[in-house]
Amino acid sequence: MKKRLIVALAALSIVAAPAFAEFPKKDIQGIIQWGAGGSTDTVMRSVTPHAEKELGVDIVMTNRTGGVGAIATKFVYAKKADGYTLLMGAENPQMYKTLGLANLDYGDFTPINILARGIPIFVANNDAPYNNMKEFVEYAKANPGMVKTGSTGPGGLTSIVLAMLDSQVKLDLTNIPYDGDGPALTALQSGALDVMPAVLGAAIEHVKAGRMKVIGLVDVKANDLLPGVAPITEDFPGFSTYLPWGPFFGVFVKNGTPQEAVDKLVSAYHTAAQHPDFIDLMNKRGFSIMNVAGPEAEKFLSTYRSVSSWIVHDAGFSKRSPEEFGIPRP
Amino acid sequence: MPTIRAKKPGETLFGFLVLAFSLFLFWQAYEISGFSALSSPGAFPIAASGIMVVASCISLLKDLKRPAEIGGFEVFWSNVLPPIVSIMIAIIFIFGIALDTLGFIISALLFLIISIQFLHQKGLVRSILLSLLALTIIYIIFRLVFSVILPEGIIPEREIMAWIGSLFK
Amino acid sequence: MMEALNYFATSWISPELMALTALGTFLGVYIGAIPGLSVTMAVSILISFTFSWDVNNALCLMVGIFMGGVYGGSRTAILLNIPGAPSAIATALDGYPMALKGEAGEAIGLSTVMSVVGGFVGIIVLALAAPMVSEFALKFQPRDYLMLGVLGIMLVGSLSGNNLTKGVFAGAFGMLIGTVGLDPLTAEERFTFGVVELWNGINPIAVMIGLFGVSEALTQLHYMNKAAIKQKIDRIIPRWSDIKKYLPLSLQTSTIGVIVGALPGTGGDIAALMAYDHAKRVTKNPEVPFGQGAKEGLIAPEAANNAAVGGAYIPMLTLGIPGDAVTAVFLGALFIHGLNPGPLLLTENPGMFWFTVGNLTLANIFVLVFGLTGIKLFSKIVECPKGILIPLILLLSVVGAYAINNSIADIWWMLGFGVIGYFMKQYDYQVGPVILGVILSRLMDENWRRAIISERESLPDFFINLLSSPLSFVLFISIVLIFISQTPLWTKAKAAVFRKTV
Repeated sequence: MKKRLIVALAALSIVAAPAFAEFPKKDIQGIIQWGAGGSTDTVMRSVTPHAEKELGVDIVMTNRTGGVGAIATKFVYAKKADGYTLLMGAENPQMYKTLGLANLDYGDFTPINILARGIPIFVANNDAPYNNMKEFVEYAKANPGMVKTGSTGPGGLTSIVLAMLDSQVKLDLTNIPYDGDGPALTALQSGALDVMPAVLGAAIEHVKAGRMKVIGLVDVKANDLLPGVAPITEDFPGFSTYLPWGPFFGVFVKNGTPQEAVDKLVSAYHTAAQHPDFIDLMNKRGFSIMNVAGPEAEKFLSTYRSVSSWIVHDAGFSKRSPEEFGIPRP
Repeated sequence: MPTIRAKKPGETLFGFLVLAFSLFLFWQAYEISGFSALSSPGAFPIAASGIMVVASCISLLKDLKRPAEIGGFEVFWSNVLPPIVSIMIAIIFIFGIALDTLGFIISALLFLIISIQFLHQKGLVRSILLSLLALTIIYIIFRLVFSVILPEGIIPEREIMAWIGSLFK
Repeated sequence: MMEALNYFATSWISPELMALTALGTFLGVYIGAIPGLSVTMAVSILISFTFSWDVNNALCLMVGIFMGGVYGGSRTAILLNIPGAPSAIATALDGYPMALKGEAGEAIGLSTVMSVVGGFVGIIVLALAAPMVSEFALKFQPRDYLMLGVLGIMLVGSLSGNNLTKGVFAGAFGMLIGTVGLDPLTAEERFTFGVVELWNGINPIAVMIGLFGVSEALTQLHYMNKAAIKQKIDRIIPRWSDIKKYLPLSLQTSTIGVIVGALPGTGGDIAALMAYDHAKRVTKNPEVPFGQGAKEGLIAPEAANNAAVGGAYIPMLTLGIPGDAVTAVFLGALFIHGLNPGPLLLTENPGMFWFTVGNLTLANIFVLVFGLTGIKLFSKIVECPKGILIPLILLLSVVGAYAINNSIADIWWMLGFGVIGYFMKQYDYQVGPVILGVILSRLMDENWRRAIISERESLPDFFINLLSSPLSFVLFISIVLIFISQTPLWTKAKAAVFRKTV
């Protein structure tokens, strides 16, 4: 009996050997870089069920957190390039090389879909005596060291946007570190912080409720969700070299995955991201939908990498120069 | 006043190991960022490992004053680390190693059969049946209900499941 | 008012919603009981599973799991000394000794009733005072969180058994374990020795399973020829006199639970530990000493961690700020279901609040139902021959450790701490303070640094601001008082004063 079972199992594994004409033949594993409840997690868990329908198999999603996403990235990279392991991540890997966190970035992966992009804004405590970027900069200059800003670790959105600002005007701010924009935005409401850059989606509901105010929009054009807030390029034209810039969410497979698998996945996620529910969700949250793959996605990824890596390098908190990796200046 | 407990064999050695370990950690904590700032990443680890060093020194000094239990090494192997414990520790570590290569199903089954056979000693068939039952329950709860993908190892589980699934289509 | 009642009753009058809540609670009890399976994980799996459902159905299921799961952690804590979740660590301290004395049934019964009492306190505070409490919770500054951490760490004193020095060592060791990995604030590597797997730190749950489950299983191997303890199962539903006697304590610790639960950044685990400490301080003459099966030590954390559920909902519903890890996932679920979680949630969906309150109440009642049934069967687990039970505990520990983050490395940490814990127990070191340190480490480390950076590295400014803020001042004074009352200084001073007056 036992022997027969083993024979059956062996036979089965031969039958199941890759025959890609029929991708996908089994459940797919999706590795999410960030923890349950975070924005990456939410975006992935809301788009993937639509993609499952297209593919006809389950995509089992697991959160593998840690090392600003490097653990998940390395895990997927260590797997076979067969399209059965997806990396569901945010923008962070594009900075790994310069920050010395890993020797991988999205250049080692094939984008299946860059789903959406976030727009950075500056938010401030309601009691802060400034209402726009100009006033904020003047106040910060007059009160060196007195303005407390939140930061979410080197390479995070806040650090990069502050570095962009720093490249335009030198300010003496006190940077208080938080482990994520959620806790930092809470601290902004409690008065532990005065001002911080954040992604629009994370702050929008608090802004609408009048619990904090927007003082700057880090984009080249005005946003429907923020009437009356001028894009930052009006006061600081120098910003336009970096913009449009913003954190993004994407699904990736390891380079070398068979083209048929990539095509199937790309088309599944492309359809999934067009689902009205998903679009509605993203709009409400203040993310701009991108839904791109192929060369367009790769171009976006490399621009992001150039801008962020050099900003961080020029601000002096990179571990290694982007030049070492052949990352061109924007 | 409670009577002073005699030292167990190996207690002084353990105390020394603990102190050495604390000193090592203190040095490592210092390496993080030195005494550079109150808010440096190393500040809290330095404080914690500093407390460890002080506490382990004090308890070592106290231990040195206490009388030792008679019997030495023989008592260590019978009271502190009897064979049954060291064998189980060995079995579970081998299980840990096998888990990655053989996969969960095979290694866990072997682990259960061997350890139940070793500890319970009520016949091999009974051990095997008990192990199969326990493993099935655990597999259903973790793998099927909560989609925890246990290490697959040499059994192509996902293919088998896709195959079973296709039977019902 | 009528409208509120209407929303409150939504899940009570619909058989479908009621069944889903029941199912959720039932599942929750078992998810909570199994170490490694967490409520956070279950709820996030459910998000994709209930994706196409109606939002009310999905919420009923999830709320049930939350309520049941927080309670369920006590099961394995009492029966096997493996807390199902960090919030049940304090429960194991006195619950497991009760099981060793054959009182597992009574312990589970009592903890169930007191969990439900705690659950109701949480719900009532949520229903009546949510806006007030959330504004209060927002007032906490980094230095206040730091002091909460200090209040918690003083529990080392009561967890150290008869050797305070070794207890202090163990607590500091735990705090150090908590700092391993990439520093969450600056991404600096701490104790990682260049190993990437260590970046994420050592998972507290892996440490917990190792120190409690594995080390206990190994210790039990010493007593293989001792027969399994016969469990008394005639008394499941606790005596009315017991409930009356312990009700004041459970109401006190429930209050601790609600507030700690409502604070963004602290949850049921810290609430339960602080409640245990509180119980130990206010109980002058326990029938059984703490740590050896004191009922006070069992009910205090159980009431507190279930009260923390209602507490965690307070900032989530009123401000869109999660009160703990589970409510963070809930926010994601609401978002996926097309609601806009945030401070405007209740303005846009006025029904949401009372629907949730009604739902939590229903789930809490189901906790009572599912908690009190099946106890006999569960108590039998402890009667199972050790030769079978110990391998099963070890296997469950391995699977549980793996399930936390799908990582083999966590299994090794779990086993490593299991063996360390075994030797620590042999040599009179308690393992409780280690896990206490691990849990509080991040809270203290991060908030100390935030607080001192806010003062631009100036200690004098730190203390000036600490004493000028009423909230910080109160917290600081409680720390000082507790510290003095726990050290020999106090007894000496008291003796001196008494001698003078007499």
